Amino acid sequence: MKLFAWQWLAASSLLLAAVVASGETRPRYGGTLRIEMRAALSSLDPADRNVPDSFGRRNVTALIFDTLVTFDDTAHIKPALAESWQAAGQELRLHIRHDVKFHDGTSLTAETVAASLRFANPSWKVMAEPDSVTIQGDFSEEELLAQLTLSRNAIVKRDAGKVSGTGPFHIVDWQSGSRLTLAAEDNCWRGRPFLDSIAVEMGKSYHDQMTSLQLGRVDLIEVSPEQVRRISQEGRGIASSMPIELVALVFAREALSPEEQALRSALALSVDRTAIRDVLLQGAGEAAGSILPIWMSGYGFVFSSGVDLSKARQLRGQAATIPNWRLGYDTGDPLDRLLAERIALNAHDAGLALQTTSSPSPDLWIAHLPLEGDAWNSLGKLADQMGVPLTKRHGSLEELYAAEQAILKSGRIIPLLHLPASYVASPGLRNWRVRSEGTVSLDDAWLESARQ
Amino acid sequence: MTFRRKLLIVFALTVFLSVAGVALAVLALTRNAFEKSEDEQTTALVTQFQREFEHRGGDVAQRVERIAGLDLVLRMAAAGHTTSADSASYLDLAHSIAESWQLDFLEFLDEDGKIISSAQSPAKFGYPDPAFESLSRLNQQPAFLKLEELQDSNALGLFAVRATRVGDHPVYVVGGRRLDRNFLSALDLPPGMRVLLYENRTERFSAESLLDPGSGRNGTHSADKLAALVNAVQHSDKEMTGVVKWSPDPADEEVFHAIPLRGAGQDRALLGILLIGNSRAAYAELKQRIRDSALLVGGAGIVLAILLSSWAAGRVTRPVERLAHAAQEVAGGNWSSQVEVSGRDEIGQLADSFNRMTAELLAQKERLVQTERVAAWRELARRLAHELKNPLFPLQLTVENLVRARTHNPEQFEEVFRESSSTLLAEISNLKAIIQRFSEFSRMPQPQLQRVKISEIVSAVVQLFQAQLKSSGRAAITCKLDLDESLEPVEADPELLHRAVSNLVLNAMDSMPNGGTLTLRTRREERKAVIEVADTGSGMTREECERIFTPYYTSKQHGTGLGLAIVQSVVSDHGGRICVRSEPGRGSTFVIELPFERH
Repeated sequence: MKLFAWQWLAASSLLLAAVVASGETRPRYGGTLRIEMRAALSSLDPADRNVPDSFGRRNVTALIFDTLVTFDDTAHIKPALAESWQAAGQELRLHIRHDVKFHDGTSLTAETVAASLRFANPSWKVMAEPDSVTIQGDFSEEELLAQLTLSRNAIVKRDAGKVSGTGPFHIVDWQSGSRLTLAAEDNCWRGRPFLDSIAVEMGKSYHDQMTSLQLGRVDLIEVSPEQVRRISQEGRGIASSMPIELVALVFAREALSPEEQALRSALALSVDRTAIRDVLLQGAGEAAGSILPIWMSGYGFVFSSGVDLSKARQLRGQAATIPNWRLGYDTGDPLDRLLAERIALNAHDAGLALQTTSSPSPDLWIAHLPLEGDAWNSLGKLADQMGVPLTKRHGSLEELYAAEQAILKSGRIIPLLHLPASYVASPGLRNWRVRSEGTVSLDDAWLESARQ
Repeated sequence: MTFRRKLLIVFALTVFLSVAGVALAVLALTRNAFEKSEDEQTTALVTQFQREFEHRGGDVAQRVERIAGLDLVLRMAAAGHTTSADSASYLDLAHSIAESWQLDFLEFLDEDGKIISSAQSPAKFGYPDPAFESLSRLNQQPAFLKLEELQDSNALGLFAVRATRVGDHPVYVVGGRRLDRNFLSALDLPPGMRVLLYENRTERFSAESLLDPGSGRNGTHSADKLAALVNAVQHSDKEMTGVVKWSPDPADEEVFHAIPLRGAGQDRALLGILLIGNSRAAYAELKQRIRDSALLVGGAGIVLAILLSSWAAGRVTRPVERLAHAAQEVAGGNWSSQVEVSGRDEIGQLADSFNRMTAELLAQKERLVQTERVAAWRELARRLAHELKNPLFPLQLTVENLVRARTHNPEQFEEVFRESSSTLLAEISNLKAIIQRFSEFSRMPQPQLQRVKISEIVSAVVQLFQAQLKSSGRAAITCKLDLDESLEPVEADPELLHRAVSNLVLNAMDSMPNGGTLTLRTRREERKAVIEVADTGSGMTREECERIFTPYYTSKQHGTGLGLAIVQSVVSDHGGRICVRSEPGRGSTFVIELPFERH
């Protein structure tokens, strides 16, 4: 009996422990997730080209809208709003998922999908059929499917200036550039999220976001790369993507002469990327000589990112006149300012004249370019931004390398660093993760503070 | 201009100049007082600035000293040579320490002068500080001025250097505070004064380099007006003073005292210029008040001076005016004019003298008239005696000849009687003629004026004497006429004028017994008609010319001396004048001037 009693007691304790343990890990519905971000979005429309691309924008878009297809964790295309697809010649037919409704209650139809795609891609030929849409064009199936994963191609119902999506959250309140309140969409085709709502504060600096987090006013924030090491050492819940943001010097125009091209090469050779990464970025990210990070292309090491002052001076010596370049940067970002000052010092070492400026029309500037999860998508988007024509937008590794070389040879861009997108959450936010392309996945996230 | 007006002007000018002089003197005194006050205030402010400078410098040095003693810095020194990883961990160190210790500038330099960490230029890690050589020598020295190179500008600051040494590896701590508006605002400024700081970043003046605690930004839109003073100090490297006119309004003038601020080191480079400004608004206001008062007092003084001087001038000039009026009367012939003597002053004495003078003149005139009258009678008697004696002598001879013929040659008496009778009759006739001429002179008629053309009268006279001029009994006289036929008529008595011209022609003929040329001209001269009668006769001496118009004076052997006197009388009665130009042996020219209009 005594033994039984002891056995019963032990079994009860184990059962209680199991129950408690299961109570800690079981998701809870409810609660409002408070997020702060740097980007101050003037529009929620993912196809609005006036809104700069940023991880913050992509995060918001992913909460409200869905694309027809998306990448899975193994970088393969998987269905989303399109259940399946068929390629035939120059056509791609996508079959639209049934029983999907927009947040305004209307059903997702092929016409709405076609209209959304036409709005985002005026050059595309999109035809709507009862249950599918057909896209005709001079591109391959892989290329088109990859493009359909882009957030700008998310399916949006546009009605009198208002936008409506099919994502897990719908818009409750929207104050352009400052505040967005989202509520869980109970009838989401992906299932209702655990969170009841999300409150997004926009236009907050890294410093302000960190202060808010420390004061418990926010649950999820973005983190400046140079703060990652310190925050990690503090033991906070930090998560980073793969190096997905390209920091580069972008010239306002192409080089007009071989001499100018040589000077730009001299500038590229004069920048001590390693010192910048080690000291200014506190070891975050990777020094970059290529547009695509190594993890994405696999050949990034081919592009040198080291300093070669003697060669830089040699190239500089070939120029009859040295232009006085004005280097612009984001004056609201202290790291950008440091980067600009360091680059100016490095350039001076090579005999180049580079002056930092807050002028809105500099000769070159420090650009933060969020890359896409797909290499070809990233290059294609960058080529469009730089005005560099690409002969191919999808293909083999050699063709990817050639495309990247073409962009670099334009002389408009000097890669400096690849940085990860990093986020810190309060301990109460559970089951969130950062995708490789830099966005936060909140599909399964829940708050400990939420009701049982 | 009348004497009274002159006096008025003199009085008014005297008052105006007096007021102006006093105003200028007051202005000069005021300016001197203000300048003295400015100098004193400037000196006090410079002393205050130096005191504040030393105080802040001591404060900076103390803070840097303490930072150098921090464990963090000691560990940095102990670590020796820095790696990239060290630089990464030190990146924000200088900034955070500078914030904690309230320093604007803070750098940690290694033994080679390389920047380990910089608060003001974090991106410069690993780069050598260009001023390391001089900075290392300033270790443990008092605070000094330094122009710190920032990324896109320079900043003036008070710096101190302290080294921390652990083993063989020193770490230099270079800290400083900016000489900015806060520093300038800490100075206790008297009203109307201000202090500006010019950071000497460029060779030429730049408004961006001017720190003005009174403005919201570094410079003001009109800061360029300080350029001349700043540039002058930059070139001379000496203290200077200048006046800056911010606007045309004198109240906006400001006197600036510029003091060069030099850095440490051997070259003592000019790093900044302290500009102490003293507004002249108060001075301009006072000057304006003085000027307004002077104008008001001057204006009132001038009005008062005009009134008073008018009254005074009236009192002074009235007797003078009376004197002037009396003198004009005397000049006009009224010698009996007298003035009222109204005092015993100089004017009264002058009036008294004037009265005595006119009385004396009157007495002398009467005496002269009596004398001239006696002289005239004597001359008349002499002339009469002379004229009458000539015919009387033949009368006497003729009568004596008759008596002698009656006594000694009765037979020839009849014949002698007849001859003597005719002689007697001739001489008696001569006596009659003489008496007739005297009678005529005494009965010169008053002219009966009418509009006559003098050229016609002259022509008539020449016509009358034409026969005599060409008579065979005498040498021929050529007559030339030069008459202005367009001459306007004059108011004259044609008979008297004819007679006067005839007398002149007769005289001319008498003066040319051996013939010659008689020239008669008429012409216009201004407002007068002129008749000239010229001969080429014997001419006259100067003395003769002076006496020629005296009645009964004659240069001829048988003249009565009344011809030219009659001419002068006629011309005078016509309101004209007659004169003569003559030279012995070369003839004479008589000129009659007659006015066209008689007043």
